[in-house]
Amino acid sequence: MSEEEKKKEPWIKAGFHRMKEKMAVPVEDDDTSEIALKKRRFVVIVIFGIIMAIVAFIISICISSGGVISVTEAIGALFSSIMKGGQNLNTVELYIYQARLPRAIAAIAVGAGLSIAGCMYQAIIRNPLVDPYITGVSSGAGCMAIAVVALGITIPFIGSSSSLYAIPIAAIIGGIVAFAITMTIAEGSGGSPTNYILAGVIVGFAFSSVQTIFLSLAQKNLTNAMWWLFGSFANITWENAWIVFVPAMGISFIAMLWAREFNLFMMGEEQAKQLGLNVVRFKRTMMVVASVLTAVCVAFCGIIGFVGLVIPHACRMALGGDHRLIMPASIVLGAMLMLFADLIARTAMSPLELPVGAITAMIGTPIFAYMLMKKGRDYNG
Amino acid sequence: MDEPVLKISRLCKNFDGFDALKNIDLELGKGLMIGLIGPNGCGKSTIMKCISKIHDMTSGSIEVDGKDIVKLKPAEVAKLVANVPAESGPTFGMTVMDMVMLGRYPFVDRLWWETKEDEAAVRKALRTFGLDALRRNQVSMLSSGERQRALIAKAYVQEPKLMLVDEPTSHLDMKYKLDVMEYLQSMARSDMTVLVAEHDISLMARYCDLCVIMKKGQIVTIRDPKEVVTEQLIRDVYEVDARVGLDVDGEIYVLPKRYVKI
Repeated sequence: MSEEEKKKEPWIKAGFHRMKEKMAVPVEDDDTSEIALKKRRFVVIVIFGIIMAIVAFIISICISSGGVISVTEAIGALFSSIMKGGQNLNTVELYIYQARLPRAIAAIAVGAGLSIAGCMYQAIIRNPLVDPYITGVSSGAGCMAIAVVALGITIPFIGSSSSLYAIPIAAIIGGIVAFAITMTIAEGSGGSPTNYILAGVIVGFAFSSVQTIFLSLAQKNLTNAMWWLFGSFANITWENAWIVFVPAMGISFIAMLWAREFNLFMMGEEQAKQLGLNVVRFKRTMMVVASVLTAVCVAFCGIIGFVGLVIPHACRMALGGDHRLIMPASIVLGAMLMLFADLIARTAMSPLELPVGAITAMIGTPIFAYMLMKKGRDYNG
Repeated sequence: MDEPVLKISRLCKNFDGFDALKNIDLELGKGLMIGLIGPNGCGKSTIMKCISKIHDMTSGSIEVDGKDIVKLKPAEVAKLVANVPAESGPTFGMTVMDMVMLGRYPFVDRLWWETKEDEAAVRKALRTFGLDALRRNQVSMLSSGERQRALIAKAYVQEPKLMLVDEPTSHLDMKYKLDVMEYLQSMARSDMTVLVAEHDISLMARYCDLCVIMKKGQIVTIRDPKEVVTEQLIRDVYEVDARVGLDVDGEIYVLPKRYVKI
């Protein structure tokens, strides 16, 4: 055998080996209803999700930077504080009612909201690398939020709440303006998924550069600005927790009504159109819905990364390609990850609080890497 | 004579100043398998996309089963016309069952879940196309031939009057090519009109009842494959020399000669 032939030999073997791994596995021809099977899985996800969310919620209110209180004490204090309507509370009740409950509520909403937004974008744009910040929402929101911090802007007429609402309002405006610009550019260039990503990336860069300028101006308030940029639930109180929770959860649940249409989108826009979906209208509406959802999530808690990218993928890997299962699972898993991330953020190095965005990635990366290695071979996007 | 299933009159399609289709007139009857033949870029796919309303036509009219498609809602068109694409991109973890079930989308008027009837239709299609055992596998795991059959099954569960199939055999080996054509022909025999765009002329001549020859956005001729597939026609349409003959079974074969510029 010549030298050249020897070189070719192992390469051919490697090719053959890979082919064997990719073979499909046949199943029995039985009359089990696949729809009934899916409905069962859906019910399991919902029940398991509710149980796990309650468990995560209880763990989250039991543990604090001050120490651990028993589950019975925490639940007792939780109910008694709610019964008292937040008035005349003792120390434990006060702590749970004022400090932990609003944070937990916001964490659930933001985790669920970002996961659903990521799931929607990935389906519409048909790109696995897409996250909720792909249309420039986070950069626009970040830019405006930092501008408020840097320039010390306050909102007239609302008195003491001014500092509480100035950043969120600016962030929502910035996020929606950035998205509007992205959408105008993308639709002007034909509205293809790739053009949406490109438009989002350049709008993101533009706003980020302005944000950097504001950051350098914000020398005195740099810590404030950094907190927002890395994400934190530290500023969540009863006053603003509802403003995050109601729209974020509401939009997330409503978006699930279109799960079948998201399934159709997986076949590509032309096929979706051919199967009777008004593709242009659906895409535009869902882009707006997902962007508003993202803007609501980042407004009060800042830019929390990772969740929106990875949670939908983890659910797809575990459950397959049907959005009727992926979307509820994303809500549950996103909320849980965020609750645990917030728990670690406030307790790990207490009394110092860590940015929650860093924690989500720290918890999520090894789990996701493990899933990718286990299931990645069969997983295509 | 029955009403034609497809009636196209004076159809024009213009893309930014380029006339992709020029004054197309075409009438197709029930239960026929029709081959659409022509070089790349001659408008085969465009005509199909206009019929299934993926593209809006510039002028002219298209009637399917006597109904003007311009006046129909997308879901109503989807019940009359099914379109099998030339290729499908990534399918994001979708199973074969999930994909074929998408074909029932125009029929499901309630929220979220399909009915038992929808599922029965899908299972029947999966069995017909030999995919039932693979129904829980991801589409990405299938071979090209199986994937093509799954795409046809998806179109089949739409229960269309007219099936448009774009280059169904482009990535397939000989066995799967014949396989796919047999399936398409049996659908045509069960009263569905099947319009197939394809480059393998020998294969088309064997299976199709009629051949529509296109060139530069226009229909050149519509006739029986045995009359239409000639060396002269190949030279006119594809601008290459080819040997056209009959094999021992009396079937047409086309062998292109090595490229010589004419």
